[in-house]
Amino acid sequence: MDFLIEAILSVVRPIGITEPVLQFMLVNAILGISMYLLLRTGMFSLANAGFMAIGAYVSVLLTKELDFALGAALVVAVIVCALIALPIGLPVLRLRDIYLAIATIGFGEVVRIFFLNVDNMILSYLNTFQDAGLRRYELVGGGRGVRNVERLTETWHLIVFLIVIIFLLTRLQRSRFGRAMVAVRQDERVAANMGINVVYVKNMVFVLSAMLAGAAGVFNGHLTRIVTPEMFGFDRAVDILAYAVLGGTSVWAGPIVGGFVLTALPEVLRRFNEYRGVFNGLVLLLVIVYLPGGLINPQGWRKLWASARRRLTGQPAQPEAGGG
Amino acid sequence: MKKFRLILSVLFILPLIFVSVVSADEHDEDADTPPIGFWEECETPQNLPDELTIGAIFGLSEAVAVYGIAQRQAVELAVAEVNAWGYLGEGVTLRVQFEDSAGNAQQAIAAMEKLVVEDGVLAVLGPTLSTEAFAADPIAQENGTVVMGVSNTAIGITDMGDFVFRNSLPEEAVIPGTVEQAIDALGLERVGVMYGDDDDFTISGFDVFVDALDDNEIEILSVETFARGDRDFSSQLTSLIARNPDALVVSALAAEAVQIIIQAREFGYDGPIIGGNGFNSPAVLDQSGEDAEGVIVGAAWNIGDPDPEPSSEAFQQAFVEEYGVAPDQFAAQAYTGAWLFATAIRCADSDDRADIRDALAAIEDFPSPLGLYSFDENRDPVHDPIAQIVFEGAFLPLASVIEGAAESDE
Repeated sequence: MDFLIEAILSVVRPIGITEPVLQFMLVNAILGISMYLLLRTGMFSLANAGFMAIGAYVSVLLTKELDFALGAALVVAVIVCALIALPIGLPVLRLRDIYLAIATIGFGEVVRIFFLNVDNMILSYLNTFQDAGLRRYELVGGGRGVRNVERLTETWHLIVFLIVIIFLLTRLQRSRFGRAMVAVRQDERVAANMGINVVYVKNMVFVLSAMLAGAAGVFNGHLTRIVTPEMFGFDRAVDILAYAVLGGTSVWAGPIVGGFVLTALPEVLRRFNEYRGVFNGLVLLLVIVYLPGGLINPQGWRKLWASARRRLTGQPAQPEAGGG
Repeated sequence: MKKFRLILSVLFILPLIFVSVVSADEHDEDADTPPIGFWEECETPQNLPDELTIGAIFGLSEAVAVYGIAQRQAVELAVAEVNAWGYLGEGVTLRVQFEDSAGNAQQAIAAMEKLVVEDGVLAVLGPTLSTEAFAADPIAQENGTVVMGVSNTAIGITDMGDFVFRNSLPEEAVIPGTVEQAIDALGLERVGVMYGDDDDFTISGFDVFVDALDDNEIEILSVETFARGDRDFSSQLTSLIARNPDALVVSALAAEAVQIIIQAREFGYDGPIIGGNGFNSPAVLDQSGEDAEGVIVGAAWNIGDPDPEPSSEAFQQAFVEEYGVAPDQFAAQAYTGAWLFATAIRCADSDDRADIRDALAAIEDFPSPLGLYSFDENRDPVHDPIAQIVFEGAFLPLASVIEGAAESDE
């Protein structure tokens, strides 16, 4: 495995992708998949930054305070995410489209503000009910975050995790449940009439997606060595959405490529110094204009290729083409 | 009569010429020994390669660019001086590789990895935010490369390892003295406190303020919080001002500080406002105008020190000449940081990262814009902070203004 990672790095290092960048690319690919599941079922949810925060905080506290191994912390954190996603999903998923988006943005903010204030909440509880007389109580450090987290995530953890997820995903898509997901996206009422339990499908996908986002949070927290509430704000929710949208949601490779490209691009463009942001924006704009279905979208590329060929060969030779 | 006039004028002019020649000589001597640097303490290095590269990670895009751009300008200025004055010896050029971290921990990690592992720089300045430092500095530590924070004030930064330095005075070194002086001068008894609860810088400031107020047995009437990026502070200010405090104590960054000052005055509060490092910026003065009168700030660097270090004055002049704006504390600290690195390289006379670390740690009483500068055994900065008050539109040392007021009363 180490040999494989070295081989990959030796190829991509010259263009500016070092091992930490590769690690964040893999983490963001997992986030992209978590969003992809939602979009594939027709749910426009922005809650995943919140679940990522929950995963990161729970696991970091477990490894730091209770000396859990990363694997054990991962399992606990993912289960916690699932347990939180279930009661959130049941009422919230009755909403659709933009209303669902707004409600889930609200969830993300609640999570962020919870971690910002949980220390003070515990402090006031201790002082009111137990008369502890404390001045300060530090569990997650409020805005300062949890610091000096050990860097436990290894590149191979991420690669293995991603491969397992891809395997399960391909299995899922061919299963009854996978087809039900697509049916729900295309038309909920028709799907219900055909005997699909829409509420079950939507909630199941929401929980699975939350678990994936939580896992990404676990890995991310043990890469950045510090976890603060600000890392999981609205910006992050939009980033996660962008991975899936830029990559394309027609096949599972889309969100992975989206996560890769959006993470690697700012690093690859470092050589342009202050023009970095301009080039970054330009690339994204071109993709959105010419490949509205995302980067990994066979149909989109075919259309683009056809129109390009028309322009290249068609225009100068138009009379001939007409004659032929 | 005409002759007499001629003689008189010659008599007048001669000493003038003489004086001007002498002063020109003096001026030349000044130019020979620049106002900053260990020119005599350390010999001109002989063993350096022709080109040396240090790295700098600053937030050059997104919201954090407010600080990052000023930091980059200050470092560019310092390095231009180092090269122009031949500080590292004839023909030796110091280069800086700037990387943008955008205030983001992931990008700071990537930038640090690139500088330390890929580019192999001698040492790294930055990152701008403490959050980024906690994420990225361990990479420098693991690779035996010095990293020096020039704006990290959080507790625990230098605990990350013996290659992690900072030259930004933490709030706990600045605020207690300010609070004490303010209490002595103004006879405060009851204060209202306000702080940003989502930012390391402002939380650290708040903690230290509370400790300092407790130590001086000052009653805290109420504590209000706000978030980074807030624009409207009316509910917090109304609640605080209604309790009739002797002073408002505010831990905020510059952007919020301006609004808090202006809005507090709008609510009719005209007492003192005591702030931390975040208030110490010409932008705060410019943007809040007359409302800033009576704002008391503890700071690592005083813009309006009437008796400044020569290097501080020279830095201000050069910065204004180059960029057309007055430097703030972030710029002064970044400028000092770059000079400290150059000095460490000069004194080490080596391009070995470990030698540079040892030389940096050994720097003592360096005449920087921040004052006589040393590192303590934890690689934290040692220099005198200063309590200042806004008086007639300028930052002045609190002590001198109070003395002046006492004299005019007599």
